[in-house]
Amino acid sequence: MPPITALLVFIIFAAGVVAGGLGGVLGLGGGVFLVPFLHLALGFPLRSAAAISLATVIATSSTATAGRAGKHLINLRFGMVLEVATVAGGLAGGLTAQLFAESTLERLFGVMAIVVAVVVLSRLNRRNVLHASVDPGRLGGAFYEAESGGMVTYRIKRLPAALAASFLAGNVSSLLGLGGGIIKVPVLNAWCGMPMRAAAATSAFMIGVTATGGAIIYFGRGDLPALAAAPAVLGVRLGSAVGLRWSQRASARWLKMLMAGILVVVGVVMFIRSAR
Amino acid sequence: MSVPPRIELDGLERAVGRVLRLGIAATTVCLAAGLVLSLLGAGSQGQLLLETGLVLLLATPVARVVVSVVDYAREGDWLFVVLTIVVLLQLAGSVIAALVHRPV
Repeated sequence: MPPITALLVFIIFAAGVVAGGLGGVLGLGGGVFLVPFLHLALGFPLRSAAAISLATVIATSSTATAGRAGKHLINLRFGMVLEVATVAGGLAGGLTAQLFAESTLERLFGVMAIVVAVVVLSRLNRRNVLHASVDPGRLGGAFYEAESGGMVTYRIKRLPAALAASFLAGNVSSLLGLGGGIIKVPVLNAWCGMPMRAAAATSAFMIGVTATGGAIIYFGRGDLPALAAAPAVLGVRLGSAVGLRWSQRASARWLKMLMAGILVVVGVVMFIRSAR
Repeated sequence: MSVPPRIELDGLERAVGRVLRLGIAATTVCLAAGLVLSLLGAGSQGQLLLETGLVLLLATPVARVVVSVVDYAREGDWLFVVLTIVVLLQLAGSVIAALVHRPV
């Protein structure tokens, strides 16, 4: 564990701002970047890096969800169905840790990130928004979207794909220190019929609960260093507030391009991690 | 179900928003005060505030799930009562696991 100086506190705060920004804009917790940054660049042990990252994921989720509540962007019903799969994935996480070496998991994750990036890019111009008069069905939703200038509706397709992505997200969450938004958002958008904004808002809502199980266990074991977690969480507060404001103005196409770019970087980061 | 889903969710979305806003505000105050005290050298009080802030941070999503269970029960939406209770049980399992494995 590196000694916590005022400079280190500031660096961790800045990293938190970036992670929170991603959460506000795209519904990601940012853990996928924060863990390697804390571990490889700042020298935190992997467990502590994962624990700090999970704490920031919770902060991102709470801030982004509180900021969006009341706009109907968050699909609570669908989110809570998927949370059950996430929870099941989390329970099976210990088993996964026994079956696969961590480097194997990271490589699989890297390959998956690149594949999903290609899928997102191939569907860049396809929008999931339907006319407001369409029945959203039991799990779909409707919200006001400034970009189209009116109410838009969407229906949920391919529920099993969404459940599988959520299971996977929960499964690798505590092991790799992620909320799993990086898996859920593109899958919900590209395969399950959710508009990008609704997918991001619903993911941001879910990642808090996904990360909490693992974070509680790390905290109980004394693996969550309070002095390092505090600036990260405070940075997230600032970053996600800025990100939320900005995401409302960005076009859905731009959000998807940003998502694909981040997925490619994540793929590369995972391969670098697996090689250590 | 006689109530259309959209109207049902209105109240829940507001309740969830309130719980999360309160939780994150309390977390922020504790962590910021704890961080300042720790950096100024008041180690033990600072540490206490930091730990309190982290507990509040971890408790916030749990509180959100509890609120959802209560709201769905009030609406009589039993499928979602069961789904949210499953999530709550797993979080409770994590707390128990954390207490059991706590180093002495």
